[in-house]
Amino acid sequence: MDLSQYAELFLAESREHLSACNQLLLDWERTPANPAPVGGLFRAVHTVKGMAATMGYGRVTDIAHRTENLLDLLRRGSRPATDELLQLLFRARDALETAVELSVVGREDELDVAEVVADLESAAALLAGPARSTPASRAAAAVEPPAAPGAGRLVEVTLRAEAPIKGGRALLALKRAQGLGVVHGVTPPQAAFESDDFDGRFSFRLDSPAAAADIERAVREAGDVEHVSVGGEERRGAAPRAPAPAGAPVEATPEKSRHIRVDLRRLDELMDLIGELVTVRGRLNELAAARRDPAVDDVAIQISRLSADLQAGIIQARMTPVWQVFDRFPRLVRDLARELDKQVAFRVEGKEIELDRAILDELGDPLLHLLRNAVDHGIETPAERRRRGKPPEGEIVLTAVRERASVAISVSDDGRGIDRARILERAQREGLVDPHAEALSDDQLLRVLARPGFSTADAVTSVSGRGVGIDVAVTRIRALGGSIDIRTEAGKGTSFVLRLPVTLAIVRALIAGVGRERYALPLTYVAETVEFGVQPTTLVEGREAIVLHDRVVPLVHLRRMLGVSGDAPRRCPIIVLEMGERRSGIVVDGMLGQQEIVVKGFDPPQGTLPVFSGATIMGDGIPALILDAGGLV
Amino acid sequence: MSHTVLVCDDAIFMRTMISDILAQAGFEIVGEAETGSQAVEKYRQLKPDLVTMDIVMPDMGGIDAVREIVKQDPDAKILMCSAMGQQALVVEAIQAGAKDFVVKPFQPSRVLEAVQRVLG
Repeated sequence: MDLSQYAELFLAESREHLSACNQLLLDWERTPANPAPVGGLFRAVHTVKGMAATMGYGRVTDIAHRTENLLDLLRRGSRPATDELLQLLFRARDALETAVELSVVGREDELDVAEVVADLESAAALLAGPARSTPASRAAAAVEPPAAPGAGRLVEVTLRAEAPIKGGRALLALKRAQGLGVVHGVTPPQAAFESDDFDGRFSFRLDSPAAAADIERAVREAGDVEHVSVGGEERRGAAPRAPAPAGAPVEATPEKSRHIRVDLRRLDELMDLIGELVTVRGRLNELAAARRDPAVDDVAIQISRLSADLQAGIIQARMTPVWQVFDRFPRLVRDLARELDKQVAFRVEGKEIELDRAILDELGDPLLHLLRNAVDHGIETPAERRRRGKPPEGEIVLTAVRERASVAISVSDDGRGIDRARILERAQREGLVDPHAEALSDDQLLRVLARPGFSTADAVTSVSGRGVGIDVAVTRIRALGGSIDIRTEAGKGTSFVLRLPVTLAIVRALIAGVGRERYALPLTYVAETVEFGVQPTTLVEGREAIVLHDRVVPLVHLRRMLGVSGDAPRRCPIIVLEMGERRSGIVVDGMLGQQEIVVKGFDPPQGTLPVFSGATIMGDGIPALILDAGGLV
Repeated sequence: MSHTVLVCDDAIFMRTMISDILAQAGFEIVGEAETGSQAVEKYRQLKPDLVTMDIVMPDMGGIDAVREIVKQDPDAKILMCSAMGQQALVVEAIQAGAKDFVVKPFQPSRVLEAVQRVLG
């Protein structure tokens, strides 16, 4: 049969199980005396083994089989895990992961598993002890009837050499025989059927009036029978047992499974189609508005409603809980902490919060950067923490929280915090900030850190060194229409907050006019709109600003920024954007309404202001640029 | 009327594959279970002609599920799905009342042979 169709399912499910293994191993490592995780580990590895064997992935099967053996021994013995064993199990899990990934792409051969396999073997041998006992006794409550030696015909059976699990097959043959009469004198004794050494040859006596041919047929019906010989009758005994009548089949209520797995590309295609539908819908609405025909209006409204429902449905189908990405982090944090001799308690909160799959897939690397920084540069060594009066074990918390139309994901540590003075000094030397500035605000700090090149400079990383990869993280998050905020306090710790739209592809946006162009501003970060010319403006740190709800909101005149000639109307709207603690008021010529827009990525030409995150096609077929809230605030 | 089947395995992969093999052979998959206790519950609801039962499952294992199902219905036709090396467990399952077994990796022909034997 064609197995390739199952490869994706195999991959997805194996990944899930291996991710669960990581969690279970981490739990076990925390409380080695408590063997509770071993059952789950055993089942996960066992499942992977079964799937891999079916797919014909020999290496995966091999590692899984040996890992399973070791786990089985641990499970039976209810043993506490030693550090050595746990490290071996971690290694085995990692080897399995690599093997799974390589096997699926047909590169299984590149993998050398000899070492881990040998280590698993020797660990299992050590645990099993010199006299390795087979677990035969557990199922020893045999159904064997009391023996009446010498009675009945001698039946000798040989199973096919290639038959798997011969003991099970032999037992089935005995059961078939029991349908004809009384079985006794089974040789070897039934307990031997449970041993791996059972070679498939056995005999028994059957006290039955049945003809030899019927006995042979019955035994053969057990399957995998190579040879049966039915000997002469020694003494006729009990009457044959009547086989139990088959139960009457009862009407079944069909029930289908409620989940299917869908290739992400299919959802992307659907999303694209819906996107086009939304664009056409916009056009239909405009035409309907121009026509003023109630019948056309009716249809337009219905189409609008239906496509909105359809769109909501597709977006829902794309939603994925963040644990799918978060689950690999506990292990990474642990490994890194071990490597750096730090003690770190890692907590994850809000695992079930959902994000569009496409966004979630992009989050892994930025989060990894931030977590790595937190362990490497944020958390101090146990000795240093003690000196500062902190507990030796540092804490890192990864949290996801839903906020209106966005999701906030934060990475917080209780480490040393970022050394602002050093960063300021360096930023001034490089001319990045006002040479007379006395301190860096959190926002300025992030802007400095996020400058490519700055962050990776050795002088910074070796001192307080927050920088590695932050520019990468900021760029990635911005590209997703999100933002990053930083809060840091010397000696207390640092936290990064990433805010991301829940979904990417279709967003509700304000359409603003500037000059003759239209611009779309996603509503995700729009807090409110107020009118310019009504609110008094002030100057704060040299920037024009308004005061709104007792807070200063610096203004950005879009007309000026975009270099549009001519004057803005005297009274015009200010769109107030809010990203975490930061706010900014965007002054535009006019508001043209709200609508759903389909976000198309674009490569801005050289020299384009870094304030656009993409483009969209308006209902009339004319494109409009999408303003990037992150670049404006 | 085609025979009805309840497929019990904690791996979607395995359930999909067994379901595909049996559905292609004309069986009707009427339900799936991921744990032993689900298997027992669904057997009660669906009364399928055939059950395929994984041995190692969370919550309640396949062998205990066989015991429970056979207690309810001594004529239940249960086919164990085992892995290589589970000799003792297969023997235990048969003693508990399973009617036959297949061994992973599954070959469709072997599965169908076993099913035919079970359904007689």
